[in-house]
Amino acid sequence: MDFLRPASWEEALAAKAEHPTAVPIAGGTDVMVEINFDHRRPDVLLDLNRIGELQEWEVGEETVRLGASVPYTRIIERLRGELPGLALAGHTVGSPQIRNRGSVGGNLGAASPAGDSHPALLAAGAEVEAVSVRGTRMIPVEEFYTGVKRNCLEADELIRAVHIKKADGPQQFSKVGTRNAMVIAVCAFGLALHPETRTVKTGIGSAAPTPIRARAAEEFLNAALEEAGLWDNGRIIPPSVARQFAELVSGAANPIDDVRGSAAYRRHALGVMARRTLGWTWDEYRGNERSARCA
Amino acid sequence: MTTTRPLLGSPMTRLEGREKVTGTARYAVDYPVDRVAYAWPVPAAVARGEITAVDATAALADPAVLAVLSYENAPRLHDTDDRTLAVLQSPHIAHRGQFAALAVATSLEAARGAAAAIRVAYAPEPHDVILTRDHPGLYKPDEVDEGMPTDREHGDFDTVYARAQVRLDAVYETPPLHNHPLEPHAATAMWDGDDLTVYDSNQGATAVQHVLAELFGLATGKIHVINEHVGGGFGSKGTARPHVVLAAMAARVVRRPVKLALPRNQLAAVTGHRSPTIQRIRIGADTEGHVQALAHEVTTQISALDGFVEPAAVVSRVMYAAPNSRTTHRVTRLDVPTPSWMRAPGECPGMFALESAMDELAIACGVDPIELRVRNEPTVEPDSGLPFSSRHLVECLREGTRRFGWHDRDPRIAGKHEGRLLIGSGVAASTYPVYVMASHAEAHAGPDGSYEVHVSASDIGTGARTVLTQIAADALGVPLDRVRVRVGSSDLPPASVAGASSGTASWGWPVHKACTELRQRLEALGHSVPEQGLTVAADIAEDLDDREDYARHAFGAQFAEVQVDTVTGETRVRRLLGVFAAGRILNPRTARSQFIGGMTMGLGMALLEGSTMDPAFGDYAERDLASYHVPACADVPEIDVHWIEEEDPQLNPMGSKGIGEIGIVGTAAAIANAVHHATGVRIRALPIHPAVLMPPLAGARQASPS
Repeated sequence: MDFLRPASWEEALAAKAEHPTAVPIAGGTDVMVEINFDHRRPDVLLDLNRIGELQEWEVGEETVRLGASVPYTRIIERLRGELPGLALAGHTVGSPQIRNRGSVGGNLGAASPAGDSHPALLAAGAEVEAVSVRGTRMIPVEEFYTGVKRNCLEADELIRAVHIKKADGPQQFSKVGTRNAMVIAVCAFGLALHPETRTVKTGIGSAAPTPIRARAAEEFLNAALEEAGLWDNGRIIPPSVARQFAELVSGAANPIDDVRGSAAYRRHALGVMARRTLGWTWDEYRGNERSARCA
Repeated sequence: MTTTRPLLGSPMTRLEGREKVTGTARYAVDYPVDRVAYAWPVPAAVARGEITAVDATAALADPAVLAVLSYENAPRLHDTDDRTLAVLQSPHIAHRGQFAALAVATSLEAARGAAAAIRVAYAPEPHDVILTRDHPGLYKPDEVDEGMPTDREHGDFDTVYARAQVRLDAVYETPPLHNHPLEPHAATAMWDGDDLTVYDSNQGATAVQHVLAELFGLATGKIHVINEHVGGGFGSKGTARPHVVLAAMAARVVRRPVKLALPRNQLAAVTGHRSPTIQRIRIGADTEGHVQALAHEVTTQISALDGFVEPAAVVSRVMYAAPNSRTTHRVTRLDVPTPSWMRAPGECPGMFALESAMDELAIACGVDPIELRVRNEPTVEPDSGLPFSSRHLVECLREGTRRFGWHDRDPRIAGKHEGRLLIGSGVAASTYPVYVMASHAEAHAGPDGSYEVHVSASDIGTGARTVLTQIAADALGVPLDRVRVRVGSSDLPPASVAGASSGTASWGWPVHKACTELRQRLEALGHSVPEQGLTVAADIAEDLDDREDYARHAFGAQFAEVQVDTVTGETRVRRLLGVFAAGRILNPRTARSQFIGGMTMGLGMALLEGSTMDPAFGDYAERDLASYHVPACADVPEIDVHWIEEEDPQLNPMGSKGIGEIGIVGTAAAIANAVHHATGVRIRALPIHPAVLMPPLAGARQASPS
């Protein structure tokens, strides 16, 4: 196994072009486990830890450009305001040690349906900045995942950053695991309110071959909120609407039975999480509306 | 010579604690060894069958690879009783994961690479890996747990049960459970001529020494087993394990020292586990809750290589007065990994069933579950008719009642809500036998006033070294810092395994005896120590023979408060309280850790732990700590532990009962009983996962009139 340690981003791209089978490694929280378990045996490892810019982020007008290797700990500590959903998801990742090493770039590279950051990215809206010596392309995160542990990166591409929409409203993340920490999700759900566009977006984790949005649920809720003028009048969401939304979220999933949980329980739990996160975010939105009016 | 406070009963801190937390304590493969080679096993890839070919060509192409061993070329071993140790002796594969080959190389990486490059071809045979209540292979074993009768019958169970006013008939199930100590099973083996030294992670250096001597056809004096520090065992290191045999074999073949640490994902198949059990309990009682008839019938499994029969019904021979009783064990042989001991084998799964059943009986009779147990308190041990040397179960229940606030509990089922949470509490009894095994010790007085005490004890993280130092200093009548206790080597006076919660009694007794005699001899000499020092050896075999017949057991009561989320089905434990009567507590600090550790493991058993047998492949699906869930800190509430001062002159000179295992006994039942109290849902098959609890919970909510 060759171990390459490029000193700059350009060197890294050149190395990836020269060694298309090279597996990039940053925190190592996924790759090292896979190597340890002999699930994969890359002929080349491409260590990105010397590339400082991957550890950096920029807060722009509309998005946060998050370097691929920014660890969860940093997101939780520094980007809670801009990326509340992702920060909440980051809290549920592994243990403090894992959160010090693991990153969103790594989660995307691994593309496991159980990756904790995916539902938050889907709900917030995000694009993956994929770069090769040939150039840069921006991939909407919905199109990024192509199968179980598969993504649409070309062999010569590396993830440089993720551009995540700054929160324009409340966001929530919820995860079910069979213990309280250090747990792979049985299923997870992210929800973001976007008052500026008067839309709600969702993300489902660990309940389908890839992370997905519950689009039918979103469309139903968008229409229901609009119809009742709820974005303006700030009334509570009728229980029947919340229930229907939850059912549609359950229905969007395509879960399996495995040792972590049954398909039936995953569907049930997704409905619960959908209803809860909707309640939490809507309460927060209404609270904000009220305080805004008072001001 | 005086000490300011009694040494026995003082909360002495762990002697090796600093070494352990600073990382200087050496475990089995931590010892620096010259010219060391590394071994990596190849697990069998079929659940049953024959190896037809082993192709090591590709593996041996790497010059770093020293040898590839398989049944074709491995040295022949002598037979022992334990067939799991006949490694690489036959082409027959008894279960998936059994060792098929071994790669040995000059680096760990090369060994691992070679193991992956070995091509083993098999002729697979059909396999059978799933236990059922009516499995056609079920039979009555000759005995359970080395000498306990398989079945016992008192009175006329069938008639009395049939006529009983209140009848309970329920089946309880516990899943396969894995010990998963933090330090995996590991060994460093080196030969010097015909002398074999192994640094091995085990619970008994003397026992491993004897087994290796048998296997390699050598005198025991030729074998030196060192287990200075052991990173947990929970029973899975209670006997010699295949890894140490492989390491010794490999070291002999390559004529170099060999290190072998089993990777975590191989442990589940080769280091033992707790068998699944299916337990039917029938209780016939009067309306006041007096048990008149009790049957506890256990169905479990062993492997094609034998293994331990989980003696889960034995607790029903001890716990409650039942004039008519039947306790039975039936077992079937499956093509599965070989089961072994796991913390409180027998008592732990058995008490989940019995104490759940007692809770069900209490509800059926409308009697408080604590009162029910008090009403069925026996005057003598029900099965043997022997008097108890001491039994303070009722006192533990009463003390727990007070501390837990049980009197404030509303007995109504599903009566307490906090928003969407249902709150409930439950109780269960704990019990564990008092074992003591023949052991030797030596005490030596030096001319400088120091003392050294030797015993081949094993400190697997329990604090044994510390407590033995207290026992020695107390018997010698000197301060602790004058005494050094050496444990963890088979070159020391032979001693029993750290198992069956018997270590402190079995090792402490000869230590006490040797130190007491040494003190007397020194007093006779007017406290002048000869220049070469003075040594006294002690053996307790005769003391054990001279003991009077008593039923000796520790008892306890555990209380749990849980919250169940009615929407997600998640159960969280809010409070756990354990009150124990276990003789004299010799070190409250290490004892508390033992109880808390056991109860935490019991919480894991109740809510999290379970291994899934894959029917297609014949192996356990959970093979790492990311999928085999033990409780994380966030799952464990504050655990409250108390004990009752118990004087019992029929135990040993220290007056102690074993405390290593009783903490796990009853916890799962207390939690399951609390879940029932909270929700009205009775879970009789562990663990209580949300996915298990959710459907009946939803059903109960729909059925309820409110």
